[in-house]
Amino acid sequence: MSETLKGKTVNGVFVDDTFAEAFGMSGTGIIITADSMKWAKIAAVTATGFGTSVIGCGAECGIDRELTLDETPDGRPGVRVLMFGFSPDALIGQVKNRIGQCVLTSPGSACYAGLDAPMKIGLGKAPRFFGDGFQTAKKLGDSRYWRVPVMDGEFVIEETTGCTTDAVGGGNMLIVGTDRAGLLEATEAAVEAISKIDDVITPFPGGIVRSGSKVGTKYKGMFASTNDAFCPTLRGATKSELAAGSLSVLEIVIDGLTSKNVADAMRVGLKAVTDIGAKKGVTRITAGNYGGKLGQHHYHLKDLI
Amino acid sequence: MSGQNLQNGLTFRLKAPATERLDLSGVSPAKLANLSSYDIASMKVGMGRHALTLGDAFDISGSNGDTITIEGSGASLDFAGAGLCSGTLRIIGNVGTYAGRKMTGGKLEIRGHAGSYLASGMTGGLIHVSGNASDNLGGILSGDRFGMAGGTVVVEGNIGARAGDKMRRGTIVVRGQTGEGAGTRMIGGTIWAEGGFGPAPGYMMRRGTLIGSKVERLLPTFVDCGRHDLVIVRVLGRYLKATLGDLAPKPMPLFVQKIAGDMATIGKGEILLPAG
Repeated sequence: MSETLKGKTVNGVFVDDTFAEAFGMSGTGIIITADSMKWAKIAAVTATGFGTSVIGCGAECGIDRELTLDETPDGRPGVRVLMFGFSPDALIGQVKNRIGQCVLTSPGSACYAGLDAPMKIGLGKAPRFFGDGFQTAKKLGDSRYWRVPVMDGEFVIEETTGCTTDAVGGGNMLIVGTDRAGLLEATEAAVEAISKIDDVITPFPGGIVRSGSKVGTKYKGMFASTNDAFCPTLRGATKSELAAGSLSVLEIVIDGLTSKNVADAMRVGLKAVTDIGAKKGVTRITAGNYGGKLGQHHYHLKDLI
Repeated sequence: MSGQNLQNGLTFRLKAPATERLDLSGVSPAKLANLSSYDIASMKVGMGRHALTLGDAFDISGSNGDTITIEGSGASLDFAGAGLCSGTLRIIGNVGTYAGRKMTGGKLEIRGHAGSYLASGMTGGLIHVSGNASDNLGGILSGDRFGMAGGTVVVEGNIGARAGDKMRRGTIVVRGQTGEGAGTRMIGGTIWAEGGFGPAPGYMMRRGTLIGSKVERLLPTFVDCGRHDLVIVRVLGRYLKATLGDLAPKPMPLFVQKIAGDMATIGKGEILLPAG
């Protein structure tokens, strides 16, 4: 571990004087409803599955929040999901496939625009053709809703949803601890706190990454590989960033529709971890960056605690 | 309610029952916005030999604004709100034919009855009629491609025959009952009749939705598709509540009977009735 770490100790947790480096992305929002919250969530979880990293999954996806009955266009239980991709064009294919395969197929589901933005991308434009000519449209105000006959009734889907290119992907924090169970508990608390911030998702399993990556690898055909500097079992064998006694490192990656959303999410995440503090074995919080040369968005931890 | 918003707009008070039909298509907040009092009073509105001007027919007061109020009842007031694109045109009294024709935005408020062809060719905005409306509401006129193609019409009373003839888009809400043949040749859009539909609704309709409490007589080319809980009815109901507030129709029961037709065409239209 570097002997010259700068930072600040908060409630027994050392917070590095460093920054998370994040990237500009395209993002969209989609509302998924069903007859019950259980089935709205099943559709949403399925549609956002395999959506952890844009590099390998095509999109980073997650559930933003549950909606009240007043917030859904049909007054039924629903959730809002967010999807992030490299570009609007990249999102179009992801939305088409995920909605077509995972929401259209889910019992009682319906699907609506979840982001009001000047730029629109197709939502029901492709899935409507599943109707084989029996589909009909209903235009209400500026929105067109497709009604696709399916075996449990009708699948209603809005034709388009909004898309923003102001989104940010890759806000992050790495949490270091001396106790795996305690560290996981503290990181879960951070994810829970971040989930209360609107317009952000933490796309990895349960919001947590245990396999942080570095850019590059010794192998051809791969873009990223394990972040060996933060692997506790390599502490003596590589140029480690970890102090003696560090047993585990967990990362939270945050995507948001705006840079402010990501900053707000990091702020509450940091607070949740430092509030728990050293009593759960958390020793340090740091963040991943590439020296500031790759990502347009920098989130300095010292500004967020 | 007469004289309301005098400070915020012009008020035209009919001097006496018009001696000829008046074409009010030039009377809208946008069209009068840059005209002087003299120009407004000199505007020809008469359609007869005498070619009455606005100043001949009306006492004019107030100043230009977002609202125009016309006080005076007369079936001879035609084309009220025709081409309206913004602001509010309020009429205290009855209007003749073609009110709201080719309207694209704004609000036309008729505190009385409306004649035939209300909202023909309308593509946007809101028309609210506190009384009844005559035949061919939202219908097509010779030379037009479609009837009503957008916007919303709310009629508190009853409406005449063939409402929504060749209607393409938009929503018509009727508190009372429709006449015969509502939704004739309909291509899209929605007619919601809280008091129910008269005989033979949806004659030759291709697409579109007729929602109501009952139907006097169905055409034989409409087929029963059963009792359903349709999500789109919820979406429609909530959309109308959000955009119309108290003017919105009461929500339909959870289950509706779907009757598809007109099977003499492509049969993608529907009549939705409360399911028993």
